[in-house]
This record gives sequence, structure tokens and C-alpha cells, in this order.
Amino acid sequence: MATTVLMSDHDLPTRSASGFILKYIAPRVEPVQLFSVFVRRTPFRLAAPQSDIIIGVGHGSETIFSGHNEAVILEVGKYNSREVEGKVVKLLSCQTGALLGPDLVKNGAEAFLGYVDDYVWVMDSDLATRPWADTMAAASLIPVVDGLNALLDGKTAKEAFDIELEGYTRNAEVEEDELVKSCLEFNRDNAILLGDLEARVRARPPLPLPFRLVPPPPNLVPLRR
Amino acid sequence: MANEEWEKLKAALRKPVTPEAMQEAASAFSRYQVVQLAKGKGSKPTLVSLGRGKGYPNAVPVDKIPEQLATNPQFFNLMKRVVAKEKG
Repeated sequence: MATTVLMSDHDLPTRSASGFILKYIAPRVEPVQLFSVFVRRTPFRLAAPQSDIIIGVGHGSETIFSGHNEAVILEVGKYNSREVEGKVVKLLSCQTGALLGPDLVKNGAEAFLGYVDDYVWVMDSDLATRPWADTMAAASLIPVVDGLNALLDGKTAKEAFDIELEGYTRNAEVEEDELVKSCLEFNRDNAILLGDLEARVRARPPLPLPFRLVPPPPNLVPLRR
Repeated sequence: MANEEWEKLKAALRKPVTPEAMQEAASAFSRYQVVQLAKGKGSKPTLVSLGRGKGYPNAVPVDKIPEQLATNPQFFNLMKRVVAKEKG
């Protein structure tokens, strides 16, 4: 089974979040990886049924998860259940845990991990061309990466979820900036896990040593402001 | 000092959304920010979110937060949820 990773990249928040997935998750999973302009409904519709895990970064609302330039990827009642059946779905997006997540589980997703309110963090917009170097954003996004890596190590959805929550708590405890701390606590309190808590995906091999030494992805093109 | 200003911001955010409360929150955040900037952060911090179709920008530079707080009720409500841990 393949992994479907959707990494929207059209504005500062999607650039920041996808940057971390690109650096820390993409190298250890096989295609299909949909990046930037390829995060659209048709490529997703073709890739998703062959995957056992769907990892999505993009803007969202209670009923919609969107990709590049807000192209709708998943909307309550408007997708084929084959796209999510038997899969673990992780959406790094706002509010999709409210209605879309339950709908995905109702339509056969084995587990859903998302957020019931906005996902917020503080990033350094001077680092938009190499978002993975942003230590401010890392406080919030590394717990997400840790949770995803746990899933890809073969841990259960509940174990991966707990790892993400512990990451927020740990980072909030040592954070001096009250705004960053509030964001971490907010994301932790709004994280949600639905479906089978014992759901697992096929364990992917850890990155072998040579790959750990591979430099990060090349700088990304600057965003138009 | 920073914590004191932050508490004032929280108190302002707990109030119902009125122009006065929004202005008070904006002033409190400005004062908090002055204290934080004195710590010497040399970057361009920006508050971002992955919301879709909201009544506030997805990216707000931290130095523009007071402006948004003072003029945008939806952003005030977001900060109410994030900072004051209250439903907007």
C-alpha cells in the first residue's frame, strides 16, 4: 500500500506546515506525494484508494479540506467512500474534526486524526523559502511530525495521537512567549482522534543512515505577497 | 512585566465583543509586544492558521495583531479562543 501525502504550498501557513512534512515525513514514505499545484481533487481521487494512510496539509473548515489555492479535496457527502475506506487519515487543517472527520469515519475510514477548531501557530515569515529551519514554527509542527512518524513506525493511532499531545505539552512548558504557548495549548486541546484507537498502518522502514545525511530539500521559491 | 500585560490581554479578551473591548485588547497586546520585543527577537514572527473562508487573514504579522484586534471582531473571537480559552 502506498502513502498519499498532500502538501499545499500556496501561502505562508501551508508553506510552513508542508515544509516540515516535506523534510521529516516525505523522505520515508513512498509516493504518491502530491505537492503544491498537484494538491487537487483528481490526483487525490486516483491516489487515495491505493493508500493505507492519507496525510493532508491544507486549509479547512468544518465540512471541507482543501488543497492548492483552496481546491476542494474532501467535502462532507461529496466523495467516494473508496477514497477513505480502511485508511488512517491525518488532516493538518482547521476544524475538519468537527464534521468532516466524523463523516470520513462513518464512510469507512479506520481512524481520523485532526482538529475541531483552528490550527494556529507562530512562524517566522522571513524563513518562507526554507520553512523547516523555522524554530518558532517547530514548537507546534514537530509534535505533528513526531505523531506521524509514530504512525509510520507501526504504532497505533492512539499511541501516535498521545505522542503529538505530549509534544505540545512539553513544548508549552518550556516556552517563554505567551502567544506561542497559548497556540500550543490551543492545538493540543482541539486535537481529536476518531474511529478505531487501535488502527495501524503498515510500518515503513526507518530512514537508513545515508538518508539521514541527505541535506534538506532545496530552497522553495518565494511566495508572492 | 510581560506576564502582567498578558493577563490584561486575557481579561480584555474575556469581555463580550464590543469596540471598547477590542480597543482594550489591542492596547494590551501592544504593551505585551513591547516587552517581548525588548527580549531581542530578530525575526518576523507571524501568527498563522489553516482556516478556510474565515473573516480574518490566515497570516497576521505579530506587530499587526493589535490592528486586527481593534478592527476585526472575528479575529478578536479567534484570540478569545486561543488566548483566553473561551468560546468566541
